Amino acid sequence: MARAVAILKRRENVAPGHYLLELSCPEIARSAEPGQFVHLRVGDGTDPLLRRPFSVMLTRPSAGEVQVLVRTVGRGTELIADHEVGTRYDLLGPLGHGWRLPEATENVMLVAGGVGVAPLIFLADHLRTAEPKPYVRAIFGGATEDALACWTEFASRCEEFTAVTEDGTAGETGMATDVLASEIERDRPDRVYACGPDAMLVVVAGICRQAEVAMQASMEQWMGCGVGACLGCAIPAAGGGYVRVCTEGPVFAAEEIDWERMTPR
Amino acid sequence: MTGSSPDLSVEIAGIRMKNPVMSASGTLGYGTEYEPYLDLSALGAMVTKAVTLEPREGNRPPRVRETPAGMLNAIGLQNPGAEAFIEEKLPEMRRFGVPVIANISGRSIEEFATLAEMLSVEGVDGLEVNISCPNVEEEGMYFGVDCELTGELTAAVVAATELPVIVKLSPNVTDICAIARAATEAGADALSLVNTLVGMSIDVEARRPHLGNITGGLSGPAIRPVAVRMVWEVAREVDIPIIGMGGIMAAGHALEFILAGATAVAVGTANFVEPATMQQVIDGLASYCRRHGVSRITELVGALEID
Repeated sequence: MARAVAILKRRENVAPGHYLLELSCPEIARSAEPGQFVHLRVGDGTDPLLRRPFSVMLTRPSAGEVQVLVRTVGRGTELIADHEVGTRYDLLGPLGHGWRLPEATENVMLVAGGVGVAPLIFLADHLRTAEPKPYVRAIFGGATEDALACWTEFASRCEEFTAVTEDGTAGETGMATDVLASEIERDRPDRVYACGPDAMLVVVAGICRQAEVAMQASMEQWMGCGVGACLGCAIPAAGGGYVRVCTEGPVFAAEEIDWERMTPR
Repeated sequence: MTGSSPDLSVEIAGIRMKNPVMSASGTLGYGTEYEPYLDLSALGAMVTKAVTLEPREGNRPPRVRETPAGMLNAIGLQNPGAEAFIEEKLPEMRRFGVPVIANISGRSIEEFATLAEMLSVEGVDGLEVNISCPNVEEEGMYFGVDCELTGELTAAVVAATELPVIVKLSPNVTDICAIARAATEAGADALSLVNTLVGMSIDVEARRPHLGNITGGLSGPAIRPVAVRMVWEVAREVDIPIIGMGGIMAAGHALEFILAGATAVAVGTANFVEPATMQQVIDGLASYCRRHGVSRITELVGALEID
C-alpha cells in the first residue's frame, strides 16, 4: 500500500449509470492483486469530503494502466462521471486483501451482481494464466440489462458464462442465485467467488454452505479512512464482533462473516 | 526573525511537544495504520482511540456517513480494552518517539478512575478524559453535559493518576463555559474541545436512518466555525491550556484555533481524507511564523485582535 497519482486517460459510459475509467497509474498497475481496491479522492474540496473506494477491475502493468468501474450512486460518483480526460486523482492503494486463489486444478464459479462484477473480471483475467489453470464458470446477474456493465469483458475471460436479469431484458430471466443453485446441482464447483449486493451474497452464502462449497465474498460498506484506523467500515464477524472491510477484507472467506446479521432488514 | 526556524514547541500541562499538532482520538488508529503515509515521529503528540476497561465490539453498521463538508460516525468505542491496549498497542505507539495521550471512556465515575489508574504506566504521557462521546448511551456525553458530574468525574480521575489530565468537552451543551469551569475547578490540567456534534442523516427512499445507531457524531470542516467559537469563549473563561479541534484541514484552520486561544490543535477527520494533513499543518505553521516574523508559536496563542 502506498499513495499514487492517477491520470484519467479514458472514460467510457459502458451502460446507463456506469462508467469505465482507464487510469494511468504505473505503481498500482504493477502491484494491485485481484480483489484489492483503491481509495480515490474525488477532488480537492471539502464536498464531497471523503475518499471513495473502488475495486480494481483490470490492470495492464506493461502499459501502467488501471481500470475501475464506477456506478453513479451519489454526489462523489456523479462528479467522477463528469470528469474530463486528463483529470488527476490522488489514490491510496492498492488496499485490502484480495481473492485467495485456487491451489489446485479446480472447477470454480464466479457470481457477480451488478457493479460487483469489477473485482471478478480481475480475478477471471488472472485465472486465465494461472498455474494450475482452473476451469472458470461465471454467472452475472442484475435487475435489467442496464446493470450488466462490462459483461463482454467478463464473459470473454470465462469458459462458461450465464447472464441473468430479473426482468428478462438480457440472458435468462430470474436471479443469479437461482442459476447458481441449478449450476451446483448440475456440476458442483470446488469454489465460489462472489461479489454483489448484500442481499445476493447472503443467499449465495446459504447455498454454498448447504452444498458444502468453499466460498469467498468481496464485501462493500461505507468507508472512512480505508486503512484500518477509523473502524467505520465494520461488518458482522462470525463468532461475534466486527471485521473491517478495508483491512481484513474486502475479500472474506464465507466462514469469517456472520451472514445472519448481514441479512438486509 | 525571518529566515531562521521558528520555535513551534508547546507545553500542555507538562507534556512537551515539538509542535502543537496532535491527532484527534479515534482518527489515527494506533499510529501503525498510517505509517506508510506519514512520518509519525514528526507529530507533536498522538492521541489514542478511546480505551475502555473491557473490550468493546462497537455499534452495528453502517457506522459512517458522509454529509456536506463533514461526516457522521457512530463507531461505538470499539477497542480491545485497557489490558490489551497496554500490552499490544502502546508499545507500537511508543516506537514513534512522540508523547502518547490515552483517551479514556467509562460507564461510571469509578470506571473512569480505575482506567486512569491502570493507564498510569510508563509510556503514557497524559490522559484525555472522554466525557463527550455522543454514540454510546449512558456514557461519555452523559457526564459531559452536566456541570456537577463533570466536576465529580474530573476530580476522581485527577485523584487516581499522577499524569496530566485533559478533559475533552462536548459541544452538545447550552453553555460550554460552565462545563469548562467545572472541569477546571475540579483540577483538570487542560481541556480538549470540541468532540463531535450530534447529528442525523436519513435515507428518504428507504425511510431509514443512514447510520445503524440512528444518530452519530458530526465532524469535519462543517463544524469548524462552531468549534472555533467555543474555543474562543472557553479560552476567555479558564486559564488552563486548550487543545482545539474541529474540521482542521490546513495550517490556516489550525491558526484560527490558536489565535482564538488554543495552545495546541488536533487533526481528526482530515486524516481520512489526506493522510499527510498533520505534516502539512506543521509545515504551514512554520511558514506562517516566518512570514509574520513570529519567533515562537506560543506568541500566537489567543492573539486574536478585536477592536
